[in-house]
Amino acid sequence: MRTNYVVERCLMSLAVLLLTAPLAAAQGQVRILQSNAAGDRVHIIDPVTNKVVAEIPGIEVAHGITNSPDATRIYVSNEADSTLDVADVATRKVIKKIPLSGRPNNISISPDGRKVYVGIREAVANNPGVADVIDTASLTKVKSVRTEGPVHNLYYTPDGKYVVAGDPTANGYVSVLDAVKDEPAWNIKMGHGIRPMAISKNPDGSTRSIFIQIGNHNGFAVVDFQTRKEVARITLPALPPGRTAIPTGSAESHGLAVTEDQKTLVACSRLNNALYSYSLPDVKLAGTAYLSGKGCAWVTVTPDGKRAYAADPVGNVTLVVDIPTMKEVARIPVGQVPKRNHTMVIPTSRPATN
Amino acid sequence: MPVALLLLLAAALLTQPTAVAAPAAPAQAAGSPAEKLLDFEFFRTQVQPIFLARRDGNSRCYSCHSHGTPMRLQELSPGASTWNEQQSRQNYQVVLPRVVPRNLTFTRLLTHPLATEGGGTFYHSGGKHWTSIFSSEWQTIANWVCGRKAGEKLVALTGGCGE
Repeated sequence: MRTNYVVERCLMSLAVLLLTAPLAAAQGQVRILQSNAAGDRVHIIDPVTNKVVAEIPGIEVAHGITNSPDATRIYVSNEADSTLDVADVATRKVIKKIPLSGRPNNISISPDGRKVYVGIREAVANNPGVADVIDTASLTKVKSVRTEGPVHNLYYTPDGKYVVAGDPTANGYVSVLDAVKDEPAWNIKMGHGIRPMAISKNPDGSTRSIFIQIGNHNGFAVVDFQTRKEVARITLPALPPGRTAIPTGSAESHGLAVTEDQKTLVACSRLNNALYSYSLPDVKLAGTAYLSGKGCAWVTVTPDGKRAYAADPVGNVTLVVDIPTMKEVARIPVGQVPKRNHTMVIPTSRPATN
Repeated sequence: MPVALLLLLAAALLTQPTAVAAPAAPAQAAGSPAEKLLDFEFFRTQVQPIFLARRDGNSRCYSCHSHGTPMRLQELSPGASTWNEQQSRQNYQVVLPRVVPRNLTFTRLLTHPLATEGGGTFYHSGGKHWTSIFSSEWQTIANWVCGRKAGEKLVALTGGCGE
């Protein structure tokens, strides 16, 4: 009698799960990829439930992270092995480790998914720095493009025509590369180490501005892409009385993202343990979210522009901020020293896998 | 009188315990008295393997400290699973400045990877590897810092070297 009851309950639970699974899948077409700079795995977060739904193990000292446009592969630069690790999303296994020219930092994939640019954090041959170009069909390095310094962060422009690479040394070069010809295009010297950047676009899709966190400045610079000149330098607000600054080490402000509608820029302040939002294109302060963690070192936003996922490398959590209200709404334990994160959009033609 | 006072002051400074002197002069140069206290064989056979050990959820110490960090360990030779004698001696010299002999509180090798809640520093970009000083790895390194030699039995330490 008791056995029948248990079986009946189990079957009922299974039926509920099966009925609700399609709904969950339909809502869960986005994943947040969270790398862990001092961990041995990547965490995959479902932004509907704000839970870790999968892990990709076997990646030590992960730096940059991105995904193929069809969301079948995840690319991670691996500082321990100086490789670009390619993971299969379905099996959550690393399927290839592509040797690089040197120790990698951040990466960026072309909008069509054919190339991954990998920033190399050291001089290579006679070049002060390079960005390796990876062909995603053959999964091989096909070229190294000279940059004016070692590369910390780099980003494809939204139109896929350029790659913008930042030099973390005191020279602070921003090297703009022609991503069609895979060669240097132009550069600007900021005079301070280049930290994270974000790029906004014009209505026609062309690149409008580069937002650049520099040196130990608690804020960011704005470079007009067309004129190639710095047009503004924004300092984030000072902490109000009663709030304590976080010891930051090297970069007071680290983490930037622009929402897909181009209306909002969010900026991390490690020093203030806060996330700020700025309206675009006027770059006016719109809101502040003080965070519950111990710092904010990277941020990515959901495609609808409503949620920001901020990595806290001291507290080992990813914090979720509702952008319209600028309130922290969730706290997700992840791995050791989470930093770079990325929003993966799963095409509607493909069911969401973990 | 002033000379006598200066001598007294100098004598007082010279006889201060390591814990007080440590922050001012933490680095232990090659050939320093620290080398006599910090046993190389203990380091080679018991401390070094900790740098290569895998801990679930963590990167290995070696993964970061073989490149790109101020405390730069020697790269392993191709195919090798540990360091040879010469590389170990180089590693020993690299680690020495991060150790204040007989002072567990000021030894960064112990406080950096230790969880803040367990008495460690606020932040280590390589993550926190031990939740408390009762971790066996922390205890091993602490025994070395306290001057135990290879072959000696380890003792349980709770924050100080004791006598």
